[in-house]
Amino acid sequence: MAPELSVFLALFADTLSYWWVIIPATILGIVVGAIPGFSAANTIIILLPITLAMEPATGMIFMVVLYTASRLGAGIPAILVNIPGTAGAAATPLDGYPMAVAGRGQQALAISFTASVGAGIITTIAAIILIPWLSQVAYHLHSVEMIVVMLFGISLIATISAADKIKGLIAGFFGLMIGYIGADVVYEAPRGSFGFLELYDKVPLIPALVGLFAISEAFVVIERNTILSKEGETGQQQAGWGPTLEGIRATIVHWKEVIWTGMLGLVIGVIPGAGAAIASFVAYQQSRLMSKTPELYGSGHVPGLIAPESANNGVTSGTLIPLLIIGVPGGATAAIMAVVLEYHGVNFGPDLFESEPMIAYGSFTAMLVTYVLLGFLILPLTRYFSRVMVVPTLYMVPILIAFTLVGAFVPRAYVFDMGVAIVFGIIGYIARRTGYHVAAILIGVILGPLLENYFLRALRISQGDLGVLFSSTIGNILWVLLLLSVLAPGLKRFLTSSRKTRNAD
Amino acid sequence: MNNDPQSKPRNILPDCIIPAIAFAFTVYYLTTITEVPWISQASAFVVSGLLMLSILAFAVRTVWRIRQHRETCQLSGAFESLLGDIPTMLKRVALLLLSIAFIWVIDNLGFTLSTFIFVFLGILLLSSVENWRNALKVSLSCAVIGYVVFIYLFNTRFPAGPIENWLKGVL
Repeated sequence: MAPELSVFLALFADTLSYWWVIIPATILGIVVGAIPGFSAANTIIILLPITLAMEPATGMIFMVVLYTASRLGAGIPAILVNIPGTAGAAATPLDGYPMAVAGRGQQALAISFTASVGAGIITTIAAIILIPWLSQVAYHLHSVEMIVVMLFGISLIATISAADKIKGLIAGFFGLMIGYIGADVVYEAPRGSFGFLELYDKVPLIPALVGLFAISEAFVVIERNTILSKEGETGQQQAGWGPTLEGIRATIVHWKEVIWTGMLGLVIGVIPGAGAAIASFVAYQQSRLMSKTPELYGSGHVPGLIAPESANNGVTSGTLIPLLIIGVPGGATAAIMAVVLEYHGVNFGPDLFESEPMIAYGSFTAMLVTYVLLGFLILPLTRYFSRVMVVPTLYMVPILIAFTLVGAFVPRAYVFDMGVAIVFGIIGYIARRTGYHVAAILIGVILGPLLENYFLRALRISQGDLGVLFSSTIGNILWVLLLLSVLAPGLKRFLTSSRKTRNAD
Repeated sequence: MNNDPQSKPRNILPDCIIPAIAFAFTVYYLTTITEVPWISQASAFVVSGLLMLSILAFAVRTVWRIRQHRETCQLSGAFESLLGDIPTMLKRVALLLLSIAFIWVIDNLGFTLSTFIFVFLGILLLSSVENWRNALKVSLSCAVIGYVVFIYLFNTRFPAGPIENWLKGVL
């Protein structure tokens, strides 16, 4: 199914002729990605009348470009003001924001963009070549395997709470319990919803994200003149183009990290329902696990920023594969793309690659063009984006609160959701001031409902037999890998200390 | 053990708020799942059990540290530790109340007017009344840019009020 090089190059050249769609969609994508609540999915829905009026290939290229650029845009507020633009960027502030506070925001943006563009290009090419094999992944991963994939993400809770394990576990399990609010997927029985109908459909994710990260951060920083630390203010004033070049260099030095975390994102992206949030959490956790300096993660460490950004861009191309091959969208944005293509009478399946190459392969070549364009367009802007950091908090805080609260309103158009954001803001503020990790709570809120859904489905299929969790070969391999990844840091410490003892003797 | 006799034991009371909220919520949650089928209860029981164990471990550790005089648990100083000194505490509480008021009125006043009022008052609260000119410029810019970009250009579902309805008729 992979095209010959000449065909691929012809398609690439064809895609360039859509520059009039690609350039505005790229700029729009960066903007909507950077605003919490304005995901690519929402924007495509808003612009549906335009998309539906376009030719199918043009419409598809418009949607794909918007989706790709929004993924990259979501990292900007995550790094600069600790507010992930989408759930897919929720792991980005773990190391991106400490870099920004220390006055290295420009460098952090350059790292994020270079990793995103690099991983995006590599995974898109890999997706084109590996389509026949990657399309099989979704067939082999069922509820049981997905439970283990979720647990890979959740094990990050233990990783990021290294400073105080007990507090980290309380935060993570509390997040999971919050994620269990609402009706369950099998019996539709409402649980823990305080009688609010608005919570029957689970805790809304964007208000939780806005509250835990943005509102709580706004209340914390009001005692400072700017978001920057004192050392950061000095560093920021001296910044020229150097930090951008340094960020690009730092990412190139870690090219292996970009490739493997990007590929991890691609594989996770192929799994319907998994998505960028899981990919970025899993990539961050695995990157820390493989690192020789895991203790530096969370303090502004370059690989800690590269891993989630590469992974969530790898997801972008992965999401399209099950949509185009079997008609099953890998995520919300892909689902909307499916609706648009079905409206135009496009039939999904392997035949699509021969009957409509501009839609099938063209989606991937449009991604490639977008990433190349983003590389030239956005890297020079790092210097100017990072100026946000020097805006005095007395102006920044009210603006942040107002716009993020409205961002919490947008996805469902419930004023109730703005209240949810305030409640999470209070919880997040208390957590920050008392040493509980807000990211651990958020991981629970994001992954809790997904874990429960797959768990309930597995139990329902097995008629309540818990043995189903260990009933598949792939599942069992994943369980062993999970166990190894959880035990590995302890084993590594034990082996190092025993080696030191032996050497001392 | 607190080895430095001069160092003051840390007040642990603020650190107990998150476990207390988590405990209360979990107890409430469990009361809401008594009637649902066990499959629907299973994962909640596992997670709530793990959460309760973590809270218990935290409680045991806290008692142990208090007995060793490494930590204390008292109301005095707890609010300052959580909310900062008195002026900062007042600013935080006032900003929270202003945010709640913003949510309260946005459905009637709409995005543009309520954002203008919120940002204007928020800046005055964090600086001083003398800064009203800058506050006016910034809040007006936010409201206008927000309206033009989100409502006029993107036709986003923002709360509509008198200004949005009037402009809809004019533009």
